[in-house]
Amino acid sequence: MSDTIQIIDLRKSYGSVEVLKGVDLEFHPGEVHALLGANGAGKSTLLGCLSGAIHPTSGEIRIDEQVFHGFTPREAFEAGTSIIYQHFQLASALSVSDNVFLGDELKTRWGFTRKRTQSRITAEVLGRIGLEFGPNEIVEDLSVGEQQGIEIARSMRREPKLLILDEPTAALGKHEVAALLALVKRLAHEVGIAVVFVTHLLPEVLAVADRVSILRGGQVLWTRAIAEVTTADMIHGISPDAADVHAQGQRSIGSALVTLESFETSFCGPLELELNEGEIVGVFGMLGSGRSNLLETIAGARRRWHGSLAIEGKELSYASTAGAMAAGVALVASDRPKQSLFADLTAIENLLMPHYQAISPWWRSPMNERRVFDQIASDVNLQPPVAAATATSFSGGNAQKLVVGRWLAGLRDINLLLLDEPTQGVDIGSRAQIYNLLRRFTEEAPKRAVLFSTSDPDEAVALADRIVVLIDGRITDVVAPSVGEAQLLSLAQSVEVSHGVEHQR
Amino acid sequence: MTTTEESITKTEESITKRPLISSRELLLKAISIVMPIATIVMMASFTINTTAFLTWPNLAAILSQNAAVIVITVVFAMLLMSGYVDLSVGSVMGLSGTAAGLMMIEHGTWAGVLTGLGIGILFGLWNGVLIGVLGFSPIVVTLGGLIAARGIAIAIAPNAIYGFPDEFANLGSGTLWGLHYISWIALLIAAVAIVVMAATPFGKHVISIGVNPRASFLVGIRVKWTIFLLYLLTGAAVAIGALLLIARLDSAPSGSLGVGYETTVLTAVLLGGVPFAGGRGNMWRVLLGVWFLAVLQNGLTLMNVDPQLNQIISGSVLVLAAGLQVLQSYLRKRI
Repeated sequence: MSDTIQIIDLRKSYGSVEVLKGVDLEFHPGEVHALLGANGAGKSTLLGCLSGAIHPTSGEIRIDEQVFHGFTPREAFEAGTSIIYQHFQLASALSVSDNVFLGDELKTRWGFTRKRTQSRITAEVLGRIGLEFGPNEIVEDLSVGEQQGIEIARSMRREPKLLILDEPTAALGKHEVAALLALVKRLAHEVGIAVVFVTHLLPEVLAVADRVSILRGGQVLWTRAIAEVTTADMIHGISPDAADVHAQGQRSIGSALVTLESFETSFCGPLELELNEGEIVGVFGMLGSGRSNLLETIAGARRRWHGSLAIEGKELSYASTAGAMAAGVALVASDRPKQSLFADLTAIENLLMPHYQAISPWWRSPMNERRVFDQIASDVNLQPPVAAATATSFSGGNAQKLVVGRWLAGLRDINLLLLDEPTQGVDIGSRAQIYNLLRRFTEEAPKRAVLFSTSDPDEAVALADRIVVLIDGRITDVVAPSVGEAQLLSLAQSVEVSHGVEHQR
Repeated sequence: MTTTEESITKTEESITKRPLISSRELLLKAISIVMPIATIVMMASFTINTTAFLTWPNLAAILSQNAAVIVITVVFAMLLMSGYVDLSVGSVMGLSGTAAGLMMIEHGTWAGVLTGLGIGILFGLWNGVLIGVLGFSPIVVTLGGLIAARGIAIAIAPNAIYGFPDEFANLGSGTLWGLHYISWIALLIAAVAIVVMAATPFGKHVISIGVNPRASFLVGIRVKWTIFLLYLLTGAAVAIGALLLIARLDSAPSGSLGVGYETTVLTAVLLGGVPFAGGRGNMWRVLLGVWFLAVLQNGLTLMNVDPQLNQIISGSVLVLAAGLQVLQSYLRKRI
């Protein structure tokens, strides 16, 4: 087919690290093409190349017999690609048509906006893709699902040849997911554009896709028509059983240390969970399963909870992070740059920020601080171990060692260490080191346990002594790591999605 | 560390092994001494052009005239380092000075001093609760304070108050070892501020909140409490500044007392290299910013230059300093 969009031998390296190792793909008009892959498989880099955010090192992209060797964002959009990210970029106080034309307004000769024409065109686009709200409604009055529709309408107004949806259902409720999937199908089958659908959720793939590609290690593992694919194939493709960071040897686990009883957060629960002394428990769940919510609530970063949390039988009722820390509970939050790292501050400041008062309550003592820093830096093998280096100058793995290292310092008695996505954006070498640090943390002293959350089945299996599966804020399974990545992935799939699609419309 | 040649050879190594100092780092260092050099050059030129500038009485006068500015600026600087701002300092100064003056001529020095302090602290409390604890916008709340406090000041005392007790007037005019008492008080408070920022955990927490409030909260720093405390301290500093000022003026003119202080103080802090969004700052440099503005005004007055020129120069220098800051943060990201 002539208007097929082709990606040929696309490569991207950062320094000596090759992220895309020659990707070949074809997207056909009138088809929904699902793109799957584990964290670090190169998905976001590939999408970046297609949207113009990232310039590929080599390779070509062919659209309509035009050959591109990389885009700027503007060129990408002129060539006919359009991408919708999981976090909407809408001006919520403006109307639907204002948003559809944002940054590309129709103007009269005198530079005034042609509001009425914009409204008319928006209404046409909304009608064409089957959305049932008006062009003059204010965005913030619409539901999340409808807002997603506006994003799509904005893309469709430019009549793209290729529409890319990056985890589009992440923010949606169940019935909205069904409506969105129906919309995605219409766009491909009726409007006739090529749709690329990126997701972690396999039932959605089965419900919506015509073709599936799996990305692994920066290459396309395989591409198949949906009829030739089973859930098991996809799971096996995304995550083969090649976890080389497994726990070594037998770990000794003691008696119950931390007890959560009918524990309820603003999103999760009520749930029951027990952590034993020396145990590392993983909470495995997809985006939106409530894993961050659960950890942040236990850490005192979120207020509302019912039920009880006890360490060594002693009930704790703090309502702040400072209170949690005094009680021996600390959190390493996900999204390092936003939530845990002090970007402009130095390594020593980043490591010691929670502890300045513990080291010396009134006057700081630079000598002691330096001693503590050197100790931790060597414990966690920080590279480079330079106290004055700013946090941003460290690689992802070493930056993570900084924020994890805070709690390994032994400056406070931490009984329960919580980690939300402990190795997000961390290279494989540092990942193994961080796993070892956490194991050592539980073994070095009594009365310690670790609770971490992850969406990466490899990580759950490699690090945890016991895995708790979380779906929609509820614990649905408790399994041993020997269950394997594939089984774990299928356990964490919410089954209701695929049913929902068939029932609606 | 390696030499320049080696570091070019391999990209992989250049991440960890850099030359001793790169041209960018050199440029950064150069930028960081622009303000000190500008100050020295300015002082030198005033020394050459006037006979009165570099004399002890004149330098002592600069200090005493700016005693209130120093006290407020050092505390205000901490507030800005944590990413917060207070536009109400000038008006609250007017109110607290006026109220202190009123009480003082009726009930004596101590009643006046306590009233002044009380009003400053009360405003600090108000700002601290609304902004720090309840999360109101600092600009809106303190802009409201700026307008309202001046109104109250003029309402309680339509005319300037004078005739303070001798002991209080003596605070403004008396000297010790060549400096006015009020200068000593200002220097003492500045010294405390320097120590707090450089040598206490509180100083670290102030900066960490300016860099990343969410991360600060998650590592257990009491963010709301710290912001509350900073506003409280600002209120107290404003009151002390007001007392120093009315002592020096030996009167409390409700309509003009402290007018424009918010701009002066903010300008000094920004000249001192604290970004408006916070997260960085050095108390010595903030004091240099105060000194720069003070000397500029003094020197131009001595040279009989049109007073408007002072404003034009201050404004331009502020924007130039901001430009240097942009360049600085650009270079920092690239190192």
